[in-house]
Formats: sequence, C-alpha cells, structure tokens
Amino acid sequence: MTAVKEQDVSDAKILFEVRDIGKSFGVTRALDGVSVEFKPGELLAMVGANGAGKSTLIKIICGYHAEYEGQILVEGKEVQFHTPKAAYDNGIATVHQIINEGVVPSMTVYENLTLAKLLNPGLPLFYKKEALRIEAREVAATMGLEIDLDTPVDQLPQSERQMIAIARALAIKPRLLILDEPTSSLSDKESERLFAMLDRLKQLGVSILYVSHRLHEIGRIADRVIVIRDGKLAKTLQRPFQVKDMVTAMVGEIPKHSFLADRERGIDDTNTQVELRDVVVAEGAPPVNLKVRKGEILGLTGLIGAGKTELAQVLFGITQAMSGEIRMAGKVIHPRNMSEAIRAGIFYVPEDRAENAVVPLFNIRQNMTLPFLRVFDRLGIMDVNSEIKRCREMIGAMGIKCEGPEAEMDSLSGGNQQKVVVARWLLEKYNLVILDEPFQGVDIRSRHDIGEYLRTSIGDKSAIIIATDLDELIEVADRIVVMNNGAIIGEQEYEDIDRDKLLQLVAQEKEIQEREESAV
Amino acid sequence: MSSSTVPEVPTGSVDQARRRPNSERFKRFAIRYGFLIVMATLFLFFGWWNPVFWRPANLFSILLGATVYGILALGVTFPLVIDGLDLSIGSVAALSVMISAYVMVVLDASGTVAILVCLMLGAGIGAINGFLIVRVKIPDLLATLGMMFLVQGVQLIPSGGRSIGRGAVLAGGVVAPGRFRDYFLFLGQGRLFGIVPTAVAIMLIVAILVFVILSLTRWGRVFYAIGSNSQAARLVGAKVNTYRMMAYILSGTIAALGGIVLAARVGRGDVSSGGTLLLDAIGSALIGFAVLGVRRPNPFGTIVGAIFISMLLNGLSMMNMPYYVQDFVKGVVLVAALAFTFGLSKTKG
Ligand SMILES: Nc1ncnc2c1ncn2[C@@H]1O[C@H](COP(=O)(O)OP(=O)(O)OP(=O)(O)O)[C@@H](O)[C@H]1O
Ligand SMILES: [Mg+2]
Repeated sequence: MTAVKEQDVSDAKILFEVRDIGKSFGVTRALDGVSVEFKPGELLAMVGANGAGKSTLIKIICGYHAEYEGQILVEGKEVQFHTPKAAYDNGIATVHQIINEGVVPSMTVYENLTLAKLLNPGLPLFYKKEALRIEAREVAATMGLEIDLDTPVDQLPQSERQMIAIARALAIKPRLLILDEPTSSLSDKESERLFAMLDRLKQLGVSILYVSHRLHEIGRIADRVIVIRDGKLAKTLQRPFQVKDMVTAMVGEIPKHSFLADRERGIDDTNTQVELRDVVVAEGAPPVNLKVRKGEILGLTGLIGAGKTELAQVLFGITQAMSGEIRMAGKVIHPRNMSEAIRAGIFYVPEDRAENAVVPLFNIRQNMTLPFLRVFDRLGIMDVNSEIKRCREMIGAMGIKCEGPEAEMDSLSGGNQQKVVVARWLLEKYNLVILDEPFQGVDIRSRHDIGEYLRTSIGDKSAIIIATDLDELIEVADRIVVMNNGAIIGEQEYEDIDRDKLLQLVAQEKEIQEREESAV
Repeated sequence: MSSSTVPEVPTGSVDQARRRPNSERFKRFAIRYGFLIVMATLFLFFGWWNPVFWRPANLFSILLGATVYGILALGVTFPLVIDGLDLSIGSVAALSVMISAYVMVVLDASGTVAILVCLMLGAGIGAINGFLIVRVKIPDLLATLGMMFLVQGVQLIPSGGRSIGRGAVLAGGVVAPGRFRDYFLFLGQGRLFGIVPTAVAIMLIVAILVFVILSLTRWGRVFYAIGSNSQAARLVGAKVNTYRMMAYILSGTIAALGGIVLAARVGRGDVSSGGTLLLDAIGSALIGFAVLGVRRPNPFGTIVGAIFISMLLNGLSMMNMPYYVQDFVKGVVLVAALAFTFGLSKTKG
C-alpha cells in the first residue's frame, strides 16, 4: 500500500480502496483477503475463471452484500456499505452481470434513464416532464443510443438493454464506475462506442473497474490488470499485457488442446447431416443455402442482426420459413413448433440465458433436466435419483463449479449458470444442436472444456455454434460461415482459417451495411 | 461482526468462517420452521385458555371447518404455480351448491348426476377462464374477476334467486319433488369408519393428488417452470398455453368439488353460501408460501394454512372474540406470515 508510482495516472490521491475483503457463502469461501486500490482516471481490469469471486467482490463494493469481512475506504476513511444506496451516495455506480438487474424491463427507455431522478425524494410532486425528457435524451446521446425513448425496455434486444443499463449508471455521474462483463452481449460497434466513452470518463478522472472474459479487449483498454483466482488476488499485471500471462495466472497452463488435433481428421464432404435449400427465413429475406456435415461443428458469425438467430429459430420451429426445404440426413423435415424440432433431434441453446433459459426457482438438477423430463419419467413419477446421477456427470464434464446438483441457480457464478443451460441440451443424443452465443460470460478454460466435450460427444451428428466473437469460433469450429443481412456471404474451412481474412470479411460486411444505411 | 465473544485470534477468518454458517443455519431454521412454531404455540395457548379446545370433537370440527376452502385453496394452487390467480373459485363453489340442489331437489335426479354436472360445470368455467387468459390475453385477475361476477349471477337463475331446500316452493307454485340423497349428504356429514369426517378425507385425498402432480410428476415440474420463467419453459418445448389452460380447468373443477362438499354439509341450496370462501381459500394458499419457507405455492403448506385459519377462528371464538376481531387477526397473520418468509429470505445474501 505504498505510494503510487505509475506516471500515466496523474492524480496520485486514492479515492477508493478495499482491504482484506473476505466473504463466505455457507461452506464456500468466495473471497479471501483481497485488497485493491482504485486510482482516479485508471481503468483497472479484473479477470479470473468462472466462480473466482469477481462478481462477489463487486457486489460487496456496491453495497449489495451487507455482510462481509474487511474494510472499504473512501478518501482514506472506512465506510460501511450496507445498501446499494450508500454506495451510490459515495459516487459508486455499478452495472451488474445480469442485465435485467440494471434495467426495469416493464418500463420505457425514458423511464429507465430517469429512474434515479424520479425516485429522488427532492423531486417535486408535479415535476417538469419535458425537462426530464431532455435530460434522458442527453444521457442516451452520450451512449450513442438511437432508440425511441418510449419503447418499453423488454422489447429491446439484449445489447441495447445493456447500453441503457450503462447509461443509467453514468447518469449519476459516478466517481467509480464498475462494469461486470459489459461487452458479453454487445456487438463490436457498440463495444467500440463503450470504449470511447470509457476513455472520456478516464479523462474526467473517473476510476473504472472492468470485468471481462474477452482478454483481447482487456489487453487493449486496461491500464492495470488484477487476476482473481479461487477468491484470492493472484497477480497484478502492468502494461503491456500478454493474453498468455493473464490466462496462466487465471487458470494455469491450458493443455495444448487435444481436441484441436481432431479437427484435422477430415470430415467426409459427401456425408451431409443437415441441408438448407433456398430457405427464406422471413418476407423479403434472401434464400439461404447451407450444408452441415456429419461430425462437423459449424461456426456461424456476423454482426448482431445479421440473421443468425433467425435462422436458428426456423430450424428449431420457433418461426416458420416462408419457403425452401430443410433436410435432416436426407429426409425433408419442417418443424412446426419446438416440440416437433426436439423430436427430430434438433436442440437449441438460446442466447440471453437470464431471459430465455434459466429457471430461477429451480436448482441445478431441475434446470438441467428440463427439456428431457420424459427420460426420467417412471410411470408418471420423476426418478430423482437418476436425474441426480446424470446431472453429476454433466457437472463433471462441463466443469461446473458448484456445491452439487441440488445447489440453487443463484448460488452459481454467471459463467457457471451458462454452463448449466448449455449442459441441459447435451444431456440427450441430438441430430443437430445449435448453440446461440454459448460462451457468454464463460471463461477461456471452460470454453475449451465445452468445445472438447462437444467434439468428443458429437459422433456422426452435427453442431452449429453462433457467436459474434470470431475468436471464440476459431477455437472450436471446423468451418466458419459469415452472415450478413440474412445472407451467407462467405465461409472458410478450418485448414485455411485466416483470422485476418475473416476479419476483413467482417469489415467488408460493415461497409456494406454502412453504405446501405447511408443510402436510405 | 462486533458481537464477538470469542477472544481475538490471529486466524480470525477461520473462526469467522465457522461462525457464519451458524447464524445462517439459524436463519434457515427460522425460515423453515418459524411458521409451524407459531402455529404450535397458538395451539397450546388456545388449549391453555380453554381446555375444551383440545377435545377431539373440537379438533375434528377445526379440520371440518377447513375443508371447503381448503379444497378450493388446493385447486387455486395450480393458477398460483403458473404465476396466475383465479378469483372465480368462490362463486364456482357457490354455483356448485345451487346446481347440486337444483339437480337433486327440483329435477329429482340422482346425487351422482348432480356431482357430475357440478364437476363438468366447474371444468367448463375453468376452460373459459383459461381461454380468456391464454387466447384472448385478458390479464388473469380481470378475466377471473369478470367470471366471478358472471357466475354469481348465473347461480341464481335456476331457482329465480331463491334458496332450494327439501319441499321448496318453485316459481309456479309447484312443490319441488326431490330431495338431497343420503349418500350425497354423506360426503359432507358422514364419517369414514365412524371416525374421520368424509369431508376431511376428501380434502386429504385432493391434497395428496395435488402434491403428487405438482411435486412428483414431470407435469408438475413444467407447471413450476412456467411460473418461474415461462419463456425458458417455452424454449425447452413445453406447451405453455396448454399447461396454463389446464391450471384453470383444474382450479375450476376442484372448486366445484369444494362446492359439492359444502352442499352436502348444509344439505340445501343456500343462495348466500359463497361468503368468504374466496378470501379464505386464497389466504390459505398464501400462508402456504410461508410454511416450511418454500416461498412458492405448495399443497402441504396450503393444507396447513387452511387448518391454521380454521384453528384461529375456532380459538378466537372460544375466547368470545367478536367476528370483526377474527377478521382483523386473520389479516394480521396473513401479512405477518408473508413478511416473515419473504423478508427473511430476501436478506440471505
Ligand atoms: N448467493 C450465493 N450463495 C452461495 N454461493 C455463492 C453465491 N454467490 C456466489 N457464490 C459462489 O461464490 C463463488 C464466486 O462467485 P462469483 O459470482 O463472484 O464468480 P465470478 O468470478 O463472478 O464468476 P463468473 O466469471 O462466472 O461471473 C462461486 O463459487 C459461487 O458459486
Ligand atoms: Mg460474475
């Protein structure tokens, strides 16, 4: 705790500091003796494996966990944050990992952006609506939000909700801004806007605590990196950062992925598992032609709104194709609803787990077996013992950090919740499994674990992984297909995956879109 | 952290880690058994005040008092589980009282026919509720509130607004030919093996059925999943609308059964039999949230809740409390029970 030496941080006065923070949940020791200083104008990144304790530390600093060990100091004086409001009043704004905790879904964008003001006891009973609206518009503009302020938030895509949650945090003009995995649901473009915003805040002397599993982006924007491992501060890294150093400090050496070798086994080109012929997803959309071969993991990428999820929804029977043909192992199928798709062996892990996948009332076991209750049905009664057994296997295979099959979902870290809802669809044999943004909030080690499990269990079936982040796909896919505006505009086989070329494709994709946008 | 009676040891984190689970365990214990402890205390208190309270005959009458709205409460558990509510159960039960009287007394048909007609009507009303909520997308509270008024009106039509008892004089001056059949009355007034009141047995059987469906079968799992995150349930292929529909049909049918038991108990078609059924039933189900601290609708808790309300009323009237005090106490208990469970578990982090 000696004086600050970094030159790039001009103001040496430390505003916030935590000392020897510890926290236990029952027998789980989530945090142990963590001390961190936050310097004005510095972006401090925090990395660590799923369940390392990052969110727990954040929840202590922002007053969510009322009970903790250790001290929080503001301007050198100890303070007790027993409510989120106390933290707020000290200038700490937090955007949590679960987006819906950061916005009120049933309210409009405008109401969300001005909520802090509306709840302010100083507000006169008949306040000026117009003034608040102007303010909301300003807040929205700083984030580059181009949405109708009267749209209810629950009708917005996840990425825009995230931007609103961030805008809300900024609206209180924080001195310490905490962001827990803000980019896990943002497109590149939105991420860039966020980074520019963070830069401006740094100029203003705001301290930023930033959590992410996207190590590349951390290498770019962080001033300092702390690594949390098993609840302890494992390492502090200074610029320049090597992704490899971060990984090693987080999870140790990752074994040279054995499953990558498998990729070269050569998938038989003639053996098609799924084929789309001129499938038109929606009115006016271009026809899609796509083959997925037996044993193949196909990566599908493209911007948010490129039509990846829409394609998946047609395959899973959520929506119907306007025209065209879907063939599964040569047979024409047309799933009219989800249960028909499931019967045809098409499984779908949706994006946005909090909204679409997690059943908060249920424990891990009940969440995991939900799609396949029939399998555990013995003359109408659920066979809980075989559920537990199966669930244990998946917990092991996926490396889910938890107390056991009966642990509640809200006792899991974000990444581990994600692993549960992915595992749910790998419980049974599939013909085609579609994973939509399966790595949201999942650490690098677990991404490898999931990829490896998929590869060893795929046999002669097929998988499609949808991801906006190219690097995630390069790790696991046999082939990468790029989509834009509902059309497939390029693909590369694993043997000749060329990251730069793919990025070029994405860049070109952007150009097309921008040209079209400016043409309108 | 300051209440440490343990001497300061350098390895502070160790004994803290040991102490924490203890306070946690206490809290968990309080959440789980707090309500049952309060109930047991009241039970002892009432008996101490007036030992007649403990007589088996009185205990049976407490159970008996809980049966009708207890059955209704078990039925409304299904809408509650899927995060809905059914406000029409009270009037469905009242309709069932009038219709069974009408079928047996006026039409002179058998008790079996009366039971079947009532159950079918209950299911039908439930289906209409479900249709309005699922297809027409009227919010559950509004749809079932509308249905409640509607059924309240319909209930009076067959008899032209009059109660129907044996030998009742009908609209045209004709004397009603039929009467309540004995085996029908047995459902409300009889005793199995001369000990257990039939109505209590019916309630227990319904409770066991509801428990089995909700807690042991896969259908129950889906019901709960829909209540917790219906979008997630839909995306694992559950037929969400069918389940929601079923919830209201079950609630309507079971409410009709409650009405049958009530008709059998009073032995006549009383126009004012709806009474406080709805509120007592929903109160029981909500108190059920607090029993064992499960924080969700569950049949065991519902039964305990129903018995609790009945015990409270019985005990208070033994203490000669006026009826409005009883209502007041009922309200206080309901709010306190819910505040206790939800309040305690909210601060669990
Ligand atoms: N409410 C809770 N009850 C019990 N255990 C909890 C609770 N919250 C967190 N934990 C446990 O504490 C540990 C740390 O969790 P935390 O959410 O801080 O991880 P994280 O570093 O944010 O991980 P991720 O990258 O997956 O978000 C985990 O083992 C988790 O299971
Ligand atoms: Mg986290």
